[in-house]
Amino acid sequence: MADSIEAQFTAETVLLALRLLPGQESSLAAAYVALREMVALVGADYPMEVEPAHVFLPIAGAERRP
Amino acid sequence: MTAADPCFLTVAEAASLIAAKQLSPVELTRAYLDRIERLNGTLHAYVRVLHDQALTAARMATEEISAGHYRGPLHGVPIGLKDIYDTAGVPTEGGSKLCLGRIPASDATTTTLLKKAGAILLGKLTTWEFAIGGTAFDTPFPPARNPWNVERDPAGSSSGSGAAVAAGLCAAAMGSDTGGSIRWPAAWCGLAGLKPSYGRVSRAGIMPLSFSLDHAGPLTWTVEDAAIMLQAVAGHDPRDPASADRPVPDFRAALAAPELRGIRLGVARSMFERDCVASDETRAAFDRSVEVLRGLGASVTEVELPPLALYGAAAYLIARGEGFAIHEKTLRERPEDYGALARDRLMIGAYVRASDMVQAMRRRRMLAEATAAAMAEFDAILLPTVPDAAPLLAELGPYFSSERPPYMRPFNLTGQPALSVCNGFDRLGLPLSLQIVGRCFDDATVLRIGHAYERATPWRERRPQLQ
Repeated sequence: MADSIEAQFTAETVLLALRLLPGQESSLAAAYVALREMVALVGADYPMEVEPAHVFLPIAGAERRP
Repeated sequence: MTAADPCFLTVAEAASLIAAKQLSPVELTRAYLDRIERLNGTLHAYVRVLHDQALTAARMATEEISAGHYRGPLHGVPIGLKDIYDTAGVPTEGGSKLCLGRIPASDATTTTLLKKAGAILLGKLTTWEFAIGGTAFDTPFPPARNPWNVERDPAGSSSGSGAAVAAGLCAAAMGSDTGGSIRWPAAWCGLAGLKPSYGRVSRAGIMPLSFSLDHAGPLTWTVEDAAIMLQAVAGHDPRDPASADRPVPDFRAALAAPELRGIRLGVARSMFERDCVASDETRAAFDRSVEVLRGLGASVTEVELPPLALYGAAAYLIARGEGFAIHEKTLRERPEDYGALARDRLMIGAYVRASDMVQAMRRRRMLAEATAAAMAEFDAILLPTVPDAAPLLAELGPYFSSERPPYMRPFNLTGQPALSVCNGFDRLGLPLSLQIVGRCFDDATVLRIGHAYERATPWRERRPQLQ
């Protein structure tokens, strides 16, 4: 993985084979920085048993959808 | 109640007059069409007005009612639909160059249900491009304007829905809400805007943005009108895999109690006094609203929820990941046909890795459980809808909503019903708003609280002044 976040953005853009329009690189790079901040905020250090919200409504007593 | 200004009747008032044959659907529809003709050039609330089709439907409604076949409170009442709701034979273009000339073969389920209830479709309403593109000037349709001050933003993405109802260009409208897109225009346009419980209203035939965050719901002048609209569109739909097969209560009957004795309300103060500090006027209006609700008999204490930014981050990753999945093909093939804001906001989803998405869904579950636990002692949570009143269009930047995040996204993530109601006006005369959030599938209590609040306050007496 590239060192700086700018280099990381450039590397991922190539890897994803995205075609950016003129002028889009700077705005998307800024959004990429914000995205990685959100990923960090969401975190990854969960206990193993924490499952995703498959059915989305983990409310006690709520019926499961078919 | 009078039919002197029929465009400013609520749905409930118009329904009473129509049922009593004191107002004909044709007369009412003509009044709206005339007003749209006068004002839409300024407000850009409609992208398509169905003049002839609306009058034909109004004549049929008039005949049916005259013959004694009255269907209920939407019969003969003119409404508008955000232009992401499919309408058979009528273009549904999602505010995008990519969909110009797209004519659906069938109606969205909600469109069908509203027609079945007898509503008259006046036209299709302006939307942010694909409900994500922000207030933009590089898409085929000009952005809607705020009727309280046309230099200001009505918010979105259901921008035309908010502008049209506030300006008296329809009696009610439908919008969609992935991160606040019903409640936000309701807040800035001074309306009632309901994001129902996830699963309560079908999204089949509505252009998707984020499958697990999208909700469909009404924007109306009053909470009672929102209840009437919800009654028409709520219920299980096999065409929507997220639609819940649960009983639909009588939402309007739930409004009957004039007081709120026994209702327990929790104020999520940390969200608007710590996480994103609301303006002084927003906080003052909120505190006054709390006193009104106390005066109606509700008990009000504070509730602590997880940080706003945590909900926002999880919602953002999920929305962008799902949005890119929907738009990847066209983003790769025709990126130049998107407006710049929609293109960036959708393309960033390409960078959401599979593990990011899974972690966001894990966080979502934890947040939903924490919110449900915090609500154990409460029937509803109170907080403002947004931190500020509507800004000038010229002040909007692309990161506006992340710099001053509204207080709505948590409840897209948890799927709880959330209602925005007008709770006063700032010194410039712009609407302020209160958000009422209930337990999942307890939309009725949310409506009951909002209705009681509205009845106890004078805010529904003021309308935008438009020439």
